[in-house]
Amino acid sequence: MRHELGAITRAVIGLALAGGLMLVVGACCAEAETPAPPSAFGPPPTAPSAAPSPFTASPQAPSAFAPQAAPLQAPGLFGAFFSWVVDTQQTMQRELANGVKRLKTENAFAAAAGLAALSFLYGVVHAVGPGHGKTIISSYVVANEQTVRRGVIISFIAAALQAMTAVALVGVLAIALNASGMAIKSWTLQLESVSYALIALVGLWLLTTQLVRIWRRRQDAAADPVVALPHAEQDDYHDHHHDHDHHAHDHDHHPGGDSHHHHHHAEGEVCHHVVDAQSVSGPMSWRKIAAVVFSVGVRPCSGAILVLVFALTQGLFWAGVAATFAMAFGTALTVAALATAALCSRELALKLGRGGGAWANAVWMTCALGGSALILLFGATLFAASLGPARPF
Amino acid sequence: MGTNVNVGLFCAAIAFLAATPAHAHPHVWAAVRSEIVFGPDHRITGIRQAWTFDEFYTAMAVQGLDTNGDGVFSKTELEPLAKVNVDSLKDFDYFTFVHFGDDEDHNLPLKPPVDYWLTYDKGVLTLHFTLPLETPVDPAKREVQMDVYDPSFFVAFGFAKDDPVKLAGTPGKGCSATVKLPDPGSEEDAKALSEAFFSQLGPNSNFGSQFAQTAIIKCVTN
Repeated sequence: MRHELGAITRAVIGLALAGGLMLVVGACCAEAETPAPPSAFGPPPTAPSAAPSPFTASPQAPSAFAPQAAPLQAPGLFGAFFSWVVDTQQTMQRELANGVKRLKTENAFAAAAGLAALSFLYGVVHAVGPGHGKTIISSYVVANEQTVRRGVIISFIAAALQAMTAVALVGVLAIALNASGMAIKSWTLQLESVSYALIALVGLWLLTTQLVRIWRRRQDAAADPVVALPHAEQDDYHDHHHDHDHHAHDHDHHPGGDSHHHHHHAEGEVCHHVVDAQSVSGPMSWRKIAAVVFSVGVRPCSGAILVLVFALTQGLFWAGVAATFAMAFGTALTVAALATAALCSRELALKLGRGGGAWANAVWMTCALGGSALILLFGATLFAASLGPARPF
Repeated sequence: MGTNVNVGLFCAAIAFLAATPAHAHPHVWAAVRSEIVFGPDHRITGIRQAWTFDEFYTAMAVQGLDTNGDGVFSKTELEPLAKVNVDSLKDFDYFTFVHFGDDEDHNLPLKPPVDYWLTYDKGVLTLHFTLPLETPVDPAKREVQMDVYDPSFFVAFGFAKDDPVKLAGTPGKGCSATVKLPDPGSEEDAKALSEAFFSQLGPNSNFGSQFAQTAIIKCVTN
């Protein structure tokens, strides 16, 4: 467990450091690039005497945002909740825009730190929306993985990849090719379609693998019920080592038949979910993880693209890049929390069975098949939807 | 057992968050100003829209469009973008839904815009276009309503705080336009919940209709 926590901490710290480093380096670069730079260590000459906090809308914020519109609200209790989500998002986007602008007028380090914090918070909230793989990753983790550590790592890699895709897309199209916003939008949409198609394929692959495994096990159970059945009823899934002892024991009891083959599958039967999960924890599992992460990550984070292009128009692309990674850190946390919650739901479901082997088996099968089927369903539906008419804005 | 209950509550809370519909998540904000255009016979002939977008969307949309590099986005430079916007708006019914007040389910057919252009001012874009009604209607006979919303809620439309709806042309006597916002107190939870869930899945989601703001045009004759 300590080892797992260590890995999580390392992943988290790594991403945080990357974002922080980028901001510091970026702040220094900006100093170097600006012809008449405000000192990073003293208040710039034109700055207001009291720097406004990045978390409160300040009256002197240098923003000419859209004219105020009537508040968005919807009927009912859920309507109130959604209105709140929408409202928070808009406020945060506004603050992000101001945060980027502050970099030009205020103490660069303070403004950069404020922007990083804002981006992080925006990421946490933003990930509740679509396109950050929370459904896909949660489903994958529930269907395939045993440990929280894997779920967290997958979430962080996927978020980092989405951030990199966004930076690469805007960097190449807008900076290198001076492409129009319409071109960037069209590329984004195409990458979304590709991502959805890949997600559907990954779902199909996972589902097939699970079905084949279950079918094989069924066959083995049918062929040699003596091996499979008694152990399925044992209350032993809490203790793996115990299982393995039993298993060795079993082996002595059933020396007949092509023992090695049966031996393998009988083990799966004895250890229920534990061996199921362990058996996918090998190299095969990393291939699956790579597929899941790639299918999610090939789609750039929509919020990141907005921030990047906005920062670019302000002549502060580096700030956009830093904000993008701070944002990715935030989205990763939300997605990881949801994946963890999905795992804890599964554990809870297992506990409700009070250790019944048949119950545990049923829960595992439901998770494995349901999770994979959900990925397939989501990917296919989103892909179909993405082929619809192009959005005007 | 207590732990189990706690874990269960925690899971339920997170699951609720996870089920937050995909589209409770607009990416573009637009402040709406509309003009209701009246013909000489005091009938409504069309709707003139002016939608002002947020700074992020604007930055994205105008990227690369300053073709002569003078730092100004002229009407000509923005023309290709305006055309793309208006052309693709057709597939979304121009996000403009005109209907009689007593018949909310049947939208009056609109013709493609007769004019359209984009303006850029103080870092934000405004899209202007005029939508003629296929058949002019008389608000003195039946109250007319116009909703502006994106059913998929990718764009969050809201009427502008100042002068959201004006009457133009030759409105009849006693005609007025008012804006009605959805009532947060009304009981539509069940409907909202089911829509919220299904809206994540389909391309024909109607999640945004919950947030629809309505302009009411009526004429009091006495």
